[in-house]
Amino acid sequence: MTMTADTLGRRHDRRPWLTRLAHASEPYLYSAPSLILIVVVMLVPLVIGISYAFRDIQLLNPFSGGFIGIEHFRTLSEDPAFYGALRNTLWWTGASVLLQFVFGLVLALLLDKPFWGRGLVQALVFLPWAVPSFLAGLNWAWLFNPVIGPIPHWLSGLGLMAQPGNILSDPQYAMWGPIVANVWWGIPFFAITLLAALQAIPRDLYEAASIDGASWSQRFFSITLPFLAPTIAITVLLRTVWISNFADLIVVMTGGGPADRTQIVASYIFTQAFKALDFGYASAIALVLLVLLLVYSMLIILLRQTLLNKD
Amino acid sequence: MASIEIEKLEKSYGHVSVLHGIDLDIRDGEFIVLVGPSGCGKSTLLRMIAGLEDVSKGEIRIAGNRVNDLHPKDRDIAMVFQSYALYPHMSVAGNMSYSLRLRKTAKEKIGAAVAGAASKLGLEPLLERRPKALSGGQRQRVAMGRAIVRQPKAFLFDEPLSNLDARLREQMRAEIKKMHADLKATSIYVTHDQIEAMTLADRIVAMHGGVVQQVGSPLELYDRPANLFVAGFIGSPGMNFLDAAYLGGAAILKDGSRIAVNSPAAVQEGSGLTLGIRPEHIVITTDGSGMRAGVELVEPTGFGIILHLSMHGLPVKVFTLDRQALALGGEVTVSFPAEHVHLFDDEGKRIG
Repeated sequence: MTMTADTLGRRHDRRPWLTRLAHASEPYLYSAPSLILIVVVMLVPLVIGISYAFRDIQLLNPFSGGFIGIEHFRTLSEDPAFYGALRNTLWWTGASVLLQFVFGLVLALLLDKPFWGRGLVQALVFLPWAVPSFLAGLNWAWLFNPVIGPIPHWLSGLGLMAQPGNILSDPQYAMWGPIVANVWWGIPFFAITLLAALQAIPRDLYEAASIDGASWSQRFFSITLPFLAPTIAITVLLRTVWISNFADLIVVMTGGGPADRTQIVASYIFTQAFKALDFGYASAIALVLLVLLLVYSMLIILLRQTLLNKD
Repeated sequence: MASIEIEKLEKSYGHVSVLHGIDLDIRDGEFIVLVGPSGCGKSTLLRMIAGLEDVSKGEIRIAGNRVNDLHPKDRDIAMVFQSYALYPHMSVAGNMSYSLRLRKTAKEKIGAAVAGAASKLGLEPLLERRPKALSGGQRQRVAMGRAIVRQPKAFLFDEPLSNLDARLREQMRAEIKKMHADLKATSIYVTHDQIEAMTLADRIVAMHGGVVQQVGSPLELYDRPANLFVAGFIGSPGMNFLDAAYLGGAAILKDGSRIAVNSPAAVQEGSGLTLGIRPEHIVITTDGSGMRAGVELVEPTGFGIILHLSMHGLPVKVFTLDRQALALGGEVTVSFPAEHVHLFDDEGKRIG
């Protein structure tokens, strides 16, 4: 033992310094390509973005660029448009995720039952997911437009609307336009993941439960839901973060209007950065949104940990 | 507890027919074993009794009531699955009490029933555990516990021991038998293992190709198999079959050897038949009488020896308890005692 240790030690000492350096840096060299890529395209922009939040950066003002401390955040704390956007974000995210989840679950349960032509229907159901979001937004905007779209006429025919108007320009209901489009577009995500989880549940559990005397709803609550719970937790968490950041449909369909009634934080950032060209203020809002989402994710992870530990 | 009657029961999936008219009367408290090779329809029959498969034709009655169109939950039967099908999100106690909780049974009654079943099966220390924290044998016990807490009209077992190792299977087999002696509940047990069938059953139902081949007590099936299928399926190592012709009160084998048989009633001279004899009934003679056979293979089991012999090219298996020194390539003489020889006609049906 001592012999080997000795030889090993001496050999280590004798190696030329270049070889030693090469050996020491080997792991870093291997991981360098991806690390460099991550640093260049993610970390650097992130740091620059964060630094913008503390600087006065306006594209059209050549004298801007100076460090202003927390001035942006002071403005932000008194900005009613921001609080409105925050409220709208909650509303937009909550309604979209809930409806996507409920319809996605129903769809997954239906697709889990064997029927003729199921393969084709499954493929078709997942189509909306393949439509680019801005195209989906344009289409839905047209569908809601009484001049070319059928939806207002159907709604007034059903008596839900006094006369065929565009709900996208109705301050009271405008948010429902992008929400409906988002639900249509996002159902497949939930359906796909929940269907995969459903198909992993052993069939004989259902048989055992039905022999034990469980009705359909009792089987659903005592077998299906507990099995789906981890998948539901993860997908809802993911989608919540995703949707609260998802401004495409809103920018395309309403541009945040009418009167900021559909402005969410993400679209407000977009408006501030690319319409008002105030990158500093936009970065400050983005930083706040980032912190809020981080806190939300932490809470969910904590919740998950406690639930797992309880098991 | 209840009797179960099955009348002209048929099952088909589209054009494929898997059960062809099953008739079976199961008495109250009887232990029935459905046995047969995979694909013979035994599990389908059990699942139809449970209500997990629709009845294509015919009728199932439990305690005299037609149950064809009843949901599984309304048939008041319990089933033990091969995979155990325990609810992974419930504790052992939760698994066992689930059916009672669904029926809104009073809490004290549930507690008493679970405690009773747990003590019968030795599950008391495990009541709070989840199924994934249990061994295979313990899960099997929980599955049985879940069945007995309800005191149903009948127990159905779908190959409940197939996932256990040999030692545990033996032990659980004995426990199931004890439990049945204790509860006297009508039980239907599906297995492909003929040892389980022989040891557990009051009556065995041997099935093949969706048709009942024979119904009878284990010894009836062993001693007087109704046809070639039952003869070959029951017993291990399996029965030897030799083609023969009936001539002058004896069976003449292909190699010309004569084997004396108890004259069957209705056999024509010269007609072809199949002669069957169990390996354990063939006698190795020491005085040189009988037929000569070469030793091709020797399989010692510890308990006895399985000899693979060749009688002029006809393969014959012999099981003997004698630990004789038998060399490969050596020769022995064997005789077939007439009282142990079974005869089957060219359609495979038993003669006599």
